[in-house]
Amino acid sequence: MSALPVLPSERTLADSPESDQALASLLESLLAIAVATAISGLMLLVAGHDPLNAFAEFVDRTLLRSAGLQEVLVHTTPLLLAGVAVLIAARAGLWNIGIDGQVLVGALSAAVVGAWLVGANRPVLWVGAVAAALIGGAVWATVPALLRSRWEINEIVTTIMFNYVAISLTAWLVKGPLRDQTLVASQTPLIPPALRFASLGDTRVHIGFPIAVATWLVAAWWLHRSVAGFELRAVGGNPRAARHAMIPVIVVLGAALIASGGLAGLAGGNDVLSTKGAFQAEWYPGYGLSAFALVFLARRHVLALLPAALFLGTLAYGADVMPRAAGIHSAFFSLFEGVLLIVLAAFRWRPWRRLGGGG
Amino acid sequence: MNVEAISTALIAAAILTSMPLMLAAVGEAIGERAGLLNLGIEGSMLCAAFGSFWIALETGSVTVGLLGGAVVGLGIGLVFGILATVFHANQVVLGLGITLGGTGGTAFLFREGYGSTQPLLALGIGRPFEGWLDWFPVIGPAIGDQRWFVFVAWIMVLAGHFFLWRTRAGLQLRAAGESPFGLESVGGNVTAVRIGAAAIGGVFYGFGGAALSVIELGFFSPGITAGAGFLAVALAMLGRLSPLRVGLFTLAFGLLTGFDTGLQIAGVNARPELLRMLPFAGVVIGLAILGRGVRLPPALGQPYGGIASRR
Repeated sequence: MSALPVLPSERTLADSPESDQALASLLESLLAIAVATAISGLMLLVAGHDPLNAFAEFVDRTLLRSAGLQEVLVHTTPLLLAGVAVLIAARAGLWNIGIDGQVLVGALSAAVVGAWLVGANRPVLWVGAVAAALIGGAVWATVPALLRSRWEINEIVTTIMFNYVAISLTAWLVKGPLRDQTLVASQTPLIPPALRFASLGDTRVHIGFPIAVATWLVAAWWLHRSVAGFELRAVGGNPRAARHAMIPVIVVLGAALIASGGLAGLAGGNDVLSTKGAFQAEWYPGYGLSAFALVFLARRHVLALLPAALFLGTLAYGADVMPRAAGIHSAFFSLFEGVLLIVLAAFRWRPWRRLGGGG
Repeated sequence: MNVEAISTALIAAAILTSMPLMLAAVGEAIGERAGLLNLGIEGSMLCAAFGSFWIALETGSVTVGLLGGAVVGLGIGLVFGILATVFHANQVVLGLGITLGGTGGTAFLFREGYGSTQPLLALGIGRPFEGWLDWFPVIGPAIGDQRWFVFVAWIMVLAGHFFLWRTRAGLQLRAAGESPFGLESVGGNVTAVRIGAAAIGGVFYGFGGAALSVIELGFFSPGITAGAGFLAVALAMLGRLSPLRVGLFTLAFGLLTGFDTGLQIAGVNARPELLRMLPFAGVVIGLAILGRGVRLPPALGQPYGGIASRR
């Protein structure tokens, strides 16, 4: 099975964002948010909530309070990393739907190495655990990457399957061989708060956020200003032309998926080293599909990732506080993101253009 | 229990548990034949499972519940088909959106409706052929004593197979994925055919989701499909998009993964987490072995822009 080809029109749309297109994309994203808000607000109404009241409460808790804003940045951090991961694969023409599995493996690796380095000083622990997260996620993406690049086995199915393998494998490891026997709950040894990512000033925001932003900036530079990034985009744009230009397509595809997995692993490591402190059984953040909502809200444009991540981070924190603040179950926010993705997918339809032209 | 009775029970369980998965995989195969790659089956099955559970609980009728689930599947299939053709939506993004929205939406509605309680369906499900095949050792009672909907499901699979390979509409459907330009050049309407295929596929996975909650389990809880919708996508590809082969493949798959229960009965002490991993790892190994042997329709995953768009 070869990779599912992307429509030529989509390639040109993604690869040459001109200024008027950027404006159109921004308007489309805002419109998509409005449509998704309307549809899910209707769902709230049907379920017997007051949507306007809930919306006011949501804005108040997340954006109008200092503590809320800090938490939004905390929740944005892993999403931004996962979004960069999805985007790098997408720009190479790959669908990395295995983010969730890579996050889990990266988080477990960071938790194990971090707990092992508890005796060392803080920076050593951070570097070691972050490297472990990166490697863990990358390793977890290696098999789908090899199958895709070497044997042309579609990465969509294999990365999804690897999510479920990762869920079971990490659950087994943390309930069995890697469990901290001194604790009642199934989890790895706890990294003490004093050794986790340092907070920025007096806030809840920790150094994970600037690290994620720096990663994003480096990725943006790398994707658009480096030879390797150019090769990656060339392969994603037109693999046949890339092959004729002597670009090693197989290597680029494999490396892109592995790099994407490493970044996803970093998102998992960030959570362990900041808010969680350990890998717990049954922990499943589900960043993967949110990251897809993020990347397509950003219209696959790397610079738009940060604002899109801030928006989804706001939603993620909303999912944390709204159950207690307004009695709205956190699953509502998955519903919202799903509707948003559907609307964004449908926005390739532009009635004012000829259908044959696509776009 | 003797070995024969245990074997019968294991095979019977495999036939029952693989049935919802089989319907979903055949539904996916029909869509893929027409060029539609649907990753939204996981979410669609959850919607159908929740809808049929709710309807069956309210009406007290298994049949009405199942039909309700099929209508939910039909509705989602139509939405998918229309957005993927008329709106030129990217099928992968659309499917992931349906999965995310369906997972979140059903969990939200379930918690709204039932809080943290877990209502159960206490409805008898008929076994019309019970005892008819007892003369055949082991396999006889395993097949004969199934609940009635299992037979309906297999008839649906056979009907799907006949439809794809022996009818004019089935030929058009396959042409929409194989050569959409060819279909249009002989006067076919690719958009209409694809929407129709998405609707038919929707009925299949709608019944699949409904069968999961109403027939197999008798309850619904959030995320109950646990990846079955994604397994269906993989099994459809492994069964090379032929409904009969997909059905038999899913059954064999169910027998293989049913072995964990057998192992536990036999006293092998394996962690449930490791056993739960097997089906997903098995699919990857199957794909790796078959490799390029899995031939997908050339137009799979691509919106159709009409003959004018041909370059």
